[in-house]
Amino acid sequence: MEASITLKKVGKLVGDKTILANLTFGIEKGSLVAIIGDNEAGKSMLLRVIAGIEYQEYGQIFINGLDSQKRRNEAMLSVGFVPHELDLDPWLTLEENIRFIGMLYRESMETINTRMVQLSRELHITTFLQKMVKDISPGIIKKGMIIRALIHNPDILILDDPTAFMDAESYRQTWDMLLRYKKEKTIVYVSQSLQEVEEAHDRILVLEDGKIALDGSLDRLLGSTFEYHQFQIEFEELSDELFNKLAKLPKVKNPSRIGDSIHFYGQQRGVFFEVLNAAASSVMKDIRVKKLGLQDLMDAKYAKDGIH
Amino acid sequence: MSAILFVILIPILLHLMLTTLMKNVFINSLDNIPYETWAFPGVILLICIMSAYAVLYRDLFDLRIHKKSFISITLAPYTKFYLVFGFLLSAIIESLIYGVLSMIILSLLLSQQLELHAYFAIPVYGSIFLLLFGNLTLTLSILTERITTFISITIILFFFMIFGTGILFEFEFYPRMLGMILSYNPFSLIISELRGLVFLKQINWVWIVIPVLTGLGWTWINGLLIKRSLKQ
Repeated sequence: MEASITLKKVGKLVGDKTILANLTFGIEKGSLVAIIGDNEAGKSMLLRVIAGIEYQEYGQIFINGLDSQKRRNEAMLSVGFVPHELDLDPWLTLEENIRFIGMLYRESMETINTRMVQLSRELHITTFLQKMVKDISPGIIKKGMIIRALIHNPDILILDDPTAFMDAESYRQTWDMLLRYKKEKTIVYVSQSLQEVEEAHDRILVLEDGKIALDGSLDRLLGSTFEYHQFQIEFEELSDELFNKLAKLPKVKNPSRIGDSIHFYGQQRGVFFEVLNAAASSVMKDIRVKKLGLQDLMDAKYAKDGIH
Repeated sequence: MSAILFVILIPILLHLMLTTLMKNVFINSLDNIPYETWAFPGVILLICIMSAYAVLYRDLFDLRIHKKSFISITLAPYTKFYLVFGFLLSAIIESLIYGVLSMIILSLLLSQQLELHAYFAIPVYGSIFLLLFGNLTLTLSILTERITTFISITIILFFFMIFGTGILFEFEFYPRMLGMILSYNPFSLIISELRGLVFLKQINWVWIVIPVLTGLGWTWINGLLIKRSLKQ
């Protein structure tokens, strides 16, 4: 597959602090890439650097094969960017804000109007187009920002927390639209919602201290890191003898004890039945089985140490 | 509504505050022109710079620092010189419209009417003056990040525009050396040339070309400054 965005040894400094360190990766055309990480991991800065809002001190970024610094104006034609903060001019209407950016990209008025109407219908904000931005709720403004980013029909859409400030209905409408554009556009986004990332991605980049800690689809990340299930059994009385007996079962990983409950991990569900057999003579009050997800992956203990 | 008030009230208030008061102090200019008439081009330019200042503050400071919408504009496929020039041009046009409307209103209050050519010269020279003033405001907007710093420097600039450019007072009233130094700054040159054309029908092209070249060079420098400030 052809690369839409390519980073080669990209580094970014703010003062003397390294925000992005030696990042090298490519993003394929038509893919949906989610970037996650802790606060201060460098997610938003990575988006800003790719979108051309800030230059990188080191390395090169290629947008559709064009060096984003040397051929900035051509490269930026292919990029639409939605920042995290609400940045529409409050003293213009939503329509004026969108139209102004469309005109800056030299789109004809007819094209701008056609696209604006089509996109605002898809996002259900047609009735807000004539309103001053200062009088509109943040969730609608965010939708307007997505339309503004799409008004010049870019190949690459870069979104910093695209559904921030949105209610459940707006969230669904926005993702319905973005997923429809997925095949024709490359979409790169940052989100604080791991559920959102689990639902919408081809690939996940986990950023940690400005470096890529993990890279791949959720299944692949979980598979390569730990394809485990999490188990918890609560007994009426969990004796030390019983806990030690269960903890020593070969397939039981990372056993721990909280009161009368035993908590452990196992690669297959089968391990659960082995534990049940071993503890059959004791009275059990509650059992829980959970397949690990992105939240568990992001948990610092497991992301850094894994399960041994 | 506020725009209409601005267009009508500001010229009248300025006229009342400045010319009616000052004409009792400065009866005639050194060229024997009634102060009220002599100050007329300066008052129009003062109205123009008030408008340009508001427009450029909004575009380059408020939208950059507070509302952040300026960032999205900088992603458009243009050089920074082109962007800065675009902002300046729109501010100059907007301010000239205010200036021309104010000129119409103020001319009704003048006791001695100017010749017709003056009404064409003021917008032309005014646009060169606004190119300089716009660049000054742009530099201030780009280099400051805090509103307190911005306002403090604005107050200093306001005094400079009133007393340091010959917009309302002749430099001949100043100590000789100071007056001479101030008369050679590009703002003073263009105002002096405007008065030369309006009242004496004289044109000195060198003193017009210098402010124009200064304005264009300054625009280019502002393009570099905005590029550096945005780290793009």
